[in-house]
Amino acid sequence: MTADTSADTSADTPDEALLDLVPYGAIEPLALSVVAANIQAVAGLPTRIQPARPHPEDAFIPTRYQFDAVKVVNALGGEKDGARFRMGVIQRDLCIPILTYVYGEAQLGGSAAVISFHRLQHIDPKVSYERGAKIAIHEAGHLLGLGHCREPGCLMRFSKQLEQLDSLPIRFCPACEYEIARLLRKAASNRL
Amino acid sequence: MASPMHIMVVDDEETICLALSAWLTKEGYAVETARSGQATLDIMAQKHFDLYLVDYKMPGMDGLQLLAEIKMRHPDASVIMITAHGSIQSAVEAMKRGSIDYLCKPFDPEELSLLMERVAASRAIQQAESAEADQWAGPREPSWEGIVGQSEALRTVLSEIEEVAPTNAPVLITGETGTGKDLVALAIHMRSEASQGPFVAINCGAQSESLLESELFGHERGAFTGAVKARRGRLEMAGNGTLFLDEIGEISPKMQVNLLRVLEEKKFCRLGGNKPIDIDFRLVSATHRDLRQLLREEQFREDFFYRINVLTIHIPPLRERLEDVPVLADFFLQKYARETGKPVEGLTPRAMEILLGYSWPGNVRELRNVIERVVVIARGRMIGADELSFLHAYGDSRRVGPATLKEAEIHHLQHALESCNWSITQAAKMLDIDRVTLSRKMKRFNIKRP
Repeated sequence: MTADTSADTSADTPDEALLDLVPYGAIEPLALSVVAANIQAVAGLPTRIQPARPHPEDAFIPTRYQFDAVKVVNALGGEKDGARFRMGVIQRDLCIPILTYVYGEAQLGGSAAVISFHRLQHIDPKVSYERGAKIAIHEAGHLLGLGHCREPGCLMRFSKQLEQLDSLPIRFCPACEYEIARLLRKAASNRL
Repeated sequence: MASPMHIMVVDDEETICLALSAWLTKEGYAVETARSGQATLDIMAQKHFDLYLVDYKMPGMDGLQLLAEIKMRHPDASVIMITAHGSIQSAVEAMKRGSIDYLCKPFDPEELSLLMERVAASRAIQQAESAEADQWAGPREPSWEGIVGQSEALRTVLSEIEEVAPTNAPVLITGETGTGKDLVALAIHMRSEASQGPFVAINCGAQSESLLESELFGHERGAFTGAVKARRGRLEMAGNGTLFLDEIGEISPKMQVNLLRVLEEKKFCRLGGNKPIDIDFRLVSATHRDLRQLLREEQFREDFFYRINVLTIHIPPLRERLEDVPVLADFFLQKYARETGKPVEGLTPRAMEILLGYSWPGNVRELRNVIERVVVIARGRMIGADELSFLHAYGDSRRVGPATLKEAEIHHLQHALESCNWSITQAAKMLDIDRVTLSRKMKRFNIKRP
């Protein structure tokens, strides 16, 4: 299940982090820790939690009462400072212009992503955290360049419903795991 | 592997094009976008797309006009109309004119995903039907039907094919799963007198007894619920050609009796019918199971066994003819490089060493899948040892092999289960043991689905 939250969830120094987790608005610290720990443990990306920022009002769509995930991602991707990858975390609902909602959005092979806890809520907070961690790892996979996978037990499989997301183990299939390891080596060497 | 579905997204709004294109790309589709109907037609002159997602309302040529143009140029292409909410009337109009479905902006991600799955499945069926049509297209040039290799063992198989093909006697092909029994069956057909007729194949292990019976014998109208019209079965379709019964070891004793009667009397009745139909075909069967063992266990009828087993061809497993591995690897590499458009040229000596060091429990099919996988993920022109490192994870390399018999068994069971997506029934079939035995072994070795 989720990685131990007492584990070292953030890289010690800015130089070590490959991914910055950027909270927008109020996010439970434990939720952020769980997400960071899992990204680090499963996707292998040293992750650092950044201080919280205000909601990205530029990306708010009043008619839909949602935030435009593409705008959030583009803004994050345009930032010069920070780690190689940046992932926003928001409690409010996200959408993209063509879809009614998204759990998360990432630039394929790019530098920025965003996830939302809005539709991941469960009466048991552990389940909500685990869902958030799965979405974050999935989006991290996209950041590294992975597309969706057809393997039933792989985190890179597109989950149509929360039940499907819940049934996924927190792991990649061997093929995606192999590809992640390779892309990580590439990302790490680009950083040097 | 089938090539990815090529999709064209047509919308005058850039954000829609970008968002939809990004989503579909992540799903593994090859996507291009166009901002107008005319731009689409210009691109269509150069390229063919399987699916068009077309916005209904666009300046200039609107969605309906573009739909008509697409259908005129490529009648097989599928079109999905994108409409705004409250434009159901226009969606209905589009469906009347040949659009397969419509989506209301903004779409529910689940709805989009399901629709894409449906389109992909229908495309797969279309491709299979077209392949079948090609297969039925009449006599073909004799060649080795994709049988590739240079080993002595394979040469023996080829000369046996040459020997048995001209006779009209039933042939039984034996060999492990993935050795290419279907290719051998086709090669026999192509060299026989029946080659002027159709080659009709059916996998007896892939369907329930009642479905298999209906598939083989066909049925008259009203024979059972849902039989709204009469249908010819495979026995009839194979008239003057070859009937290939794959996985013959899986059929029930009752079906063995039914088939035996057909083979002896050369006539049969459709389900629900009483008019005997004369048939004449060459019978070729195949199995990965030990039929003599099944005879001893009284799961297979002796009279039926001798009826189908007049001539036998055994295909040795790939691990017993490793000299075929480089030729096969090169053959599949060229094939998948062509299909995926990747500039992959070959394997490094170390990569080939890994292939030769592996025992290939899934035989040629497994080798084909491995090469397909490495071509898909290949970044350079040569496939290196790195790309094949996952073979070590299966722990089945002879050089880096498990230390004890128990370890070897555990690794082999795990590999079989993984390759069957942890379906115990399928893995048991692949391992040629029964389901209960496999479950018992999994319990004993504490093998659990991850």
